Amino acid sequence: MIGRLFLRPVAAVLVALLALTTVPAGAAPEGAEPAAGPADVALDRLLGDVRARLPAACADPAADRLVGVLCSGRLRVGVRDTYPLFATEQGGRRSGYDIDVARALADRLGVVPEWVPVRPATRISTLAEGGADVVIATMGHNTRRDTQARFIRPHYYRSETIIVGPREVPLRGWGDLRGRTVCTTIGNYANAHIVSRDVRVMLFDGASRLPEALRDGTCRFAAHDDSFFASYLGSDGALQPGFERKFGFDPVPWGMAVAAAGSAELARALELVSQSMHRDGTFLSIARKTGIFTTFLEDQEQLWRSPACARTPTDCLIPALNTVPPPTAFASQVERGLAWSERHLGLSPALPMLLTQPAWDLFVAGIVNSMILVLGALAATLAFALLVGIVSALPFRATRLLSWLVVVALQSSPVLLTLVVVTAVAHVLFTYSAAVALGAAIVALGLMNGANAGQAIGEAAESLRREQGLGRKLTLPLFGAALIRSLTQILSFLVNAAKGTPVASFTGAPELLAALTDIMSFSAGRGDTYAIVLVFYIGVVTLVVWGCNRARAYVERRSLAG
Amino acid sequence: MSTLLDLLRSGYPGDLAAAMVVNFRIAGLALVMGLALGLPLAVGLAGGRGWRRIIAPVLGVMRAAPTFVVMFYLLNVIPHDLSLAGIDLAPSGPMIVALSLVPYAAAYGADNGGEALSSFRRGSVEGALLFLPNIVRAFFVLVMSSSTGAAIGVSEGVAVVLREADRWPQLGDKLIVFAIGVFAFGLVFQSGFALIRLAVHRIGRRHRRAAGSA
Repeated sequence: MIGRLFLRPVAAVLVALLALTTVPAGAAPEGAEPAAGPADVALDRLLGDVRARLPAACADPAADRLVGVLCSGRLRVGVRDTYPLFATEQGGRRSGYDIDVARALADRLGVVPEWVPVRPATRISTLAEGGADVVIATMGHNTRRDTQARFIRPHYYRSETIIVGPREVPLRGWGDLRGRTVCTTIGNYANAHIVSRDVRVMLFDGASRLPEALRDGTCRFAAHDDSFFASYLGSDGALQPGFERKFGFDPVPWGMAVAAAGSAELARALELVSQSMHRDGTFLSIARKTGIFTTFLEDQEQLWRSPACARTPTDCLIPALNTVPPPTAFASQVERGLAWSERHLGLSPALPMLLTQPAWDLFVAGIVNSMILVLGALAATLAFALLVGIVSALPFRATRLLSWLVVVALQSSPVLLTLVVVTAVAHVLFTYSAAVALGAAIVALGLMNGANAGQAIGEAAESLRREQGLGRKLTLPLFGAALIRSLTQILSFLVNAAKGTPVASFTGAPELLAALTDIMSFSAGRGDTYAIVLVFYIGVVTLVVWGCNRARAYVERRSLAG
Repeated sequence: MSTLLDLLRSGYPGDLAAAMVVNFRIAGLALVMGLALGLPLAVGLAGGRGWRRIIAPVLGVMRAAPTFVVMFYLLNVIPHDLSLAGIDLAPSGPMIVALSLVPYAAAYGADNGGEALSSFRRGSVEGALLFLPNIVRAFFVLVMSSSTGAAIGVSEGVAVVLREADRWPQLGDKLIVFAIGVFAFGLVFQSGFALIRLAVHRIGRRHRRAAGSA
């Protein structure tokens, strides 16, 4: 009796403890290995089926790559050599996240990894030529690459583009970046996003130059993959302690890939291994050991531990990033024209602005804005010339001194600096927009050239007074004569204003040079595109020169007739 | 006032002065290359109608080409790994800015060189000598124009001004940073032009003295 009385509470406590420590299906307690999931079971079955066909299948040239891997006992993995924290090679020793993932994969397949060095340009071609069984080489998975190789999902990592800048400059989001310059690399998919936010870009050929450009002050901000910046921003990184990650955008899933043909079973095996490695936290623990960003892997671990993903894994997969911009309505005609040109003339200029809709929209807006800028700069130059001319021709010493000070200050400031000062003031008065940048550029160009032309008008009025013994009073006939006398100067400063308009791209005015730089940031064909800008602006300036010559001839005819 | 004092005590004036040396180097390079191209064109212009017909349109294009666009064109057309017989020929940022200024410098050199030749042929040595102050004038214009290099990451004077301005969040403080930059460039520019005025004055005086003694 006493024993029963004693045993009942003990049993109750044991039952309660058991209930508390029981884990729901599909989840594992912290630090414990989860039980084998459906992916592990399916993998064992798949490997068992393939192994049952060996060794006879080893001699079959049409056999799947998985057969070759299991027959040779080696998994040939395409990896990079010089990508810090992900894949580096020093003295024959390879290390990094990609390398450790490859080792874990090979281990699950019961084989050993064999390294095949690849570069970004050779990652997919190596697979297509049979040089590697799988490539694990910091490769973003997008719809364009989907047609060239078979990507393994779930993805083994995800990077995003981050903005890196000085710690002392506060930057919370896109709003704080508007009108500023961000250094980035040519052809980066994320650049289209950057330029759509009224942010100017300074383009570099390769990412390796970005950290140096940040350090030597060439760039205040830079944008690139967080995976690239991870080693530079780490505790011993070259960008410490002055720089930090500001914010990220445009996440890109990274995929390991196998050849598009003849690798169905290998792909299936790797997909199952990837599901398992997310579920049991292998990817995450490798990432933590390597010191790379782990937010994505933490989310994926939670996701793949859920019963929903165990039931229907396809619902938990991330799609490839769609990087193919919509074509223009006339893209096919342009392509036919270019093909004809190459066949018959041997010329094949790159015209990215005609092939995709976003580029075409930027191009058309660039031409329209350039024309507005040129006409606006001419009008502003004329207006400021008349204003400064009147003030400097007035018979008061104070007004002449004022106009002299303005002219000297404007003459002393390089064009780029004047543009920046006027734009900075405009941004305080108005909310930043492309129209404000355009307006500020018109005012700056008008001020710089108009002040000089106005000074010439004032000097002409003074010389007329001396020659003709006129009084100090400024009359309309005197001002008209001063205008005619200083016509050459006025016209040359009008031409100068037109020539100076492309500089406005520096402060974010969306004219043609800025538009084509934006297009170039996510397209190819730089030389041809900048040649188009050069021809366009030479044409515009020539037109302005012609117009000025016509105006001069008209004024000379009128003054002769008068 | 405290911002101005802080700036003057900081490394900003020194950095600005050091960076402006880059502007001088760019302007010097552009002028040398421009004269090397422009003076033969000036001789060609003085050589007869046939030569003028060929050279005039070339000069027209050179005058019309905006420096800023030429700079971006060169930056994107010249390969960054350009080499000949193993010698690295890829131009640096300052060299690209200097090259972009060559069309202006060459056209200026051709125009003024042509006028100097005409003056010399007419027997006016003093008129021909005006070519020298005009070249100095071109040099200072080129110093100011070389500030476009900031747009392609060349660490010259304006780039330093913009970098410093970025550190100051208030417009008032930024304007003081800009004002110091304008003062520094203005000092160079106005001194240069004062020098030119002095040279022109001296040449004029010599001319008047020579005319008087004749």
